[in-house]
Amino acid sequence: MKARLNRRSAITRLGGAIAGLFTLSAARAAKAAVQQMFVASGAPKDYDPSKHKWLMCIDVNRCIGCGLCVEACKKENGVPEGPYFRTWIERYIITKPEPGSGKTRGETLVDSPNGGMHGFPPPPVPKDQVEHSFFVPKLCNLCEHSPCVQVCPVGATFDAPDGAVLIDPKYCIGCGFCIQACPYGCRFLSPVTHTAEKCTLCYHRITRGLKPACVEICPTQARIFGDLKNAGPDDPIRKFYENNRVQVLKPHLGTEPRVLYAGLDKEVR
Amino acid sequence: MRRPLLPPQILRLVLLTLAIVGSYLVARAFLTPPTFGNLGWYRAEALVELRARPPVYAGKQACDECHSDQLQKLAKDSHKTLSCEACHGVSREHADNPDILPVKLTGSHCIRCHEANPSRPKWFKQIVVKDHYGSKCTECHVPHQPSQSP
Amino acid sequence: MTNEMTNLVVEVLPRFEGYVYPNEGIPHPLWGFLIVIYPYITGLVAGAFIMASLVRVFKVKALEPVYRLSMLTALSFLLCATLPLLFHLGHPERCYEIMMTPHLTSPMAIFGFVYAWYLMAVLLLELWFDYRQDLVEWAKVTRGFKGIVYRAFTLGVTDESYEALALDAKMGWILSIVGIPSAFLLHGYVGFIFGSIKANPWWGNVLMPIIFILSAIVSGIALCTFNYMVLTWIRRHTVDMRCLDTMAMFLFYALVVDAAVEALDWIHRIYAAEEGFSVLKTMIREKLFYTLNLGQATTGTLIPWLLLGSLQLLRKRVPEPIRRRMIFASAFMILIGVLAMRWNVVIGGQLFSKSLRGVMGYKLEFAGVEGWLMGLVLLSLPFIILTVLVKLFLSERLPSSEHTPQDSVAAEV
Repeated sequence: MKARLNRRSAITRLGGAIAGLFTLSAARAAKAAVQQMFVASGAPKDYDPSKHKWLMCIDVNRCIGCGLCVEACKKENGVPEGPYFRTWIERYIITKPEPGSGKTRGETLVDSPNGGMHGFPPPPVPKDQVEHSFFVPKLCNLCEHSPCVQVCPVGATFDAPDGAVLIDPKYCIGCGFCIQACPYGCRFLSPVTHTAEKCTLCYHRITRGLKPACVEICPTQARIFGDLKNAGPDDPIRKFYENNRVQVLKPHLGTEPRVLYAGLDKEVR
Repeated sequence: MRRPLLPPQILRLVLLTLAIVGSYLVARAFLTPPTFGNLGWYRAEALVELRARPPVYAGKQACDECHSDQLQKLAKDSHKTLSCEACHGVSREHADNPDILPVKLTGSHCIRCHEANPSRPKWFKQIVVKDHYGSKCTECHVPHQPSQSP
Repeated sequence: MTNEMTNLVVEVLPRFEGYVYPNEGIPHPLWGFLIVIYPYITGLVAGAFIMASLVRVFKVKALEPVYRLSMLTALSFLLCATLPLLFHLGHPERCYEIMMTPHLTSPMAIFGFVYAWYLMAVLLLELWFDYRQDLVEWAKVTRGFKGIVYRAFTLGVTDESYEALALDAKMGWILSIVGIPSAFLLHGYVGFIFGSIKANPWWGNVLMPIIFILSAIVSGIALCTFNYMVLTWIRRHTVDMRCLDTMAMFLFYALVVDAAVEALDWIHRIYAAEEGFSVLKTMIREKLFYTLNLGQATTGTLIPWLLLGSLQLLRKRVPEPIRRRMIFASAFMILIGVLAMRWNVVIGGQLFSKSLRGVMGYKLEFAGVEGWLMGLVLLSLPFIILTVLVKLFLSERLPSSEHTPQDSVAAEV
């Protein structure tokens, strides 16, 4: 009869499903053993992320726009050639206002030729037209509420416990959402790995007690790097945030960037 | 005739749903990476992998091991904030094996920072190269102690 | 040599004006034509489904002839929806990660689940309940491959008793109701992806998901109208004018609502003139001029609005052949216009710098994964699938069941 056939087939099917579920636990143990073999090693094992909180700050008054940091970053991290930058320098040239215009400033010219990697050419306006001019190094702002981490669909980019915002290159699917979500333009899609990339604070250096390459190479100490959890009273980063009135980039977006800038101007976005 | 527990359509669909959801859960158990979720919504192993990358620049501390006399001279003058590799380039290989020499310097290094530019801060020593004395910077300046003459 | 080192003049790329962040100096937009096509396709799916639900949920009897075609249209487009995303990913082989470890703070993470839910629990299920009786009947009289297909899709449930058919009708009705918010979720989350990006003033605003859904409904109704007319023309049948006029009416009103909300977005932007407004003005004027004014506004909105609006006013006085042509032209123009709208949103958001100081121009390639050719192929594929589905499930030779589900539901009540 149709009814009985339905019941029998239903019971056999349910039984099969339950048997399948029981094999799960055995399969899981086997899977874990197999995957353990592939766990990466080779990094210093004595580093505890929870004991550090890294931060980089920028003193705009000290940047001379030499671009050594941009070059050093590219070399240190193997950043691809072309419009791909983990850090870069922007030059701001604020011209004098037209006499009689009743304004405090003329137009603002911003440029970043090749990220500032080979320095900057002479300014496009004559020296006597320049009211203010300065260089602003830019990098990942290490946001407290990173929009990039928020939007990653798979969990490939994340806030590390020690303050860096990192990307897992083996897990990133290359969707580009984080690149669109970053308000500061600090992310890019690598044409080599087809994953997102950004400043990692030279994670492989700072976890070995070295400084990030850009900080190492900066001739004027415009980039100040330190460990907020282990900063003594003479630590440059402590002196920076204790002695300077600071700003952050795009505070109205609510990302709570941790990178502090001293000497910024209202024209810097 | 005995009525089945559920209408036949519903029964068939419930079984199908269980099969689909079940296979999803099984797949998930296998395809989620092992360290995922340990520290947050990411593969904790990634921290280890990112740390494992070998550094390229050696760092000023590495130079101090053999060249502490130069560094002491450097610390007394205005170039004390410079790292050796800012001018001498990547010197990791040299740090590991002193027989491999780092980059030989030319005067272009000096101009890169010291060419006068209105965007540079006023406290920074800048020169208009074509109006400045001499043809080679090292004629009048010792690179490690720029206020000294050779 | 020394001067040249420090005074290196960077190659001035003509496609940038003003200042753009160095990372924005890439030759092609990060989200290209493929990402334009994806919301277009899911929008058509959602819209076609809403069109079908007008029949089941809102009991618009005049649209009954187009119910099954709308559902099959939704299915054929949904089957292709993942392709643009897969082709766009940097690592498509890792695509499963989105379902294994979905990051719940990301709107993109719900894609796998909402797609699976909509495909299986809404669309296929509703189709199954609607078709089940027919599949059982067709399976009895068809041999060969088609017969196997029909038998397989019955899932072995061959009960054709009164109770079973009543259950089919009831389940179909329930699924139609469940399907409406599901359709909104399927397409609305895409709008939310853009609307949630506060870093981008062109995208990040609260109206974005709503505008996406409304334009999706418009495009879906237009697509069903288009498909219906093409199918009747291919089969040399006469168009059911009552059905067509009703579709044109819904299309008109949907277009009015959509245009109103999009106009609200414009008015608010111009009035509030927030920080990014000046760069957006530059971007629109220089980079989006034709796609916005010609494509979206004129072709996609103004002309169909005039054509369909005049039909609402003068319907009886316009002879049938002219009405048919006006409706067909409007539907086709709306389809172009909504594609232009998706272009303006997706590409437009990448044509200006986040520094708000510059605009970029990109040239879209013809060949390549993100090129025109691939886009056209991906847009044609659903029509090919629809042809197969129509041959199988809207075949002229196989009669559909006479029982109309509404009658069963009415009988139950």
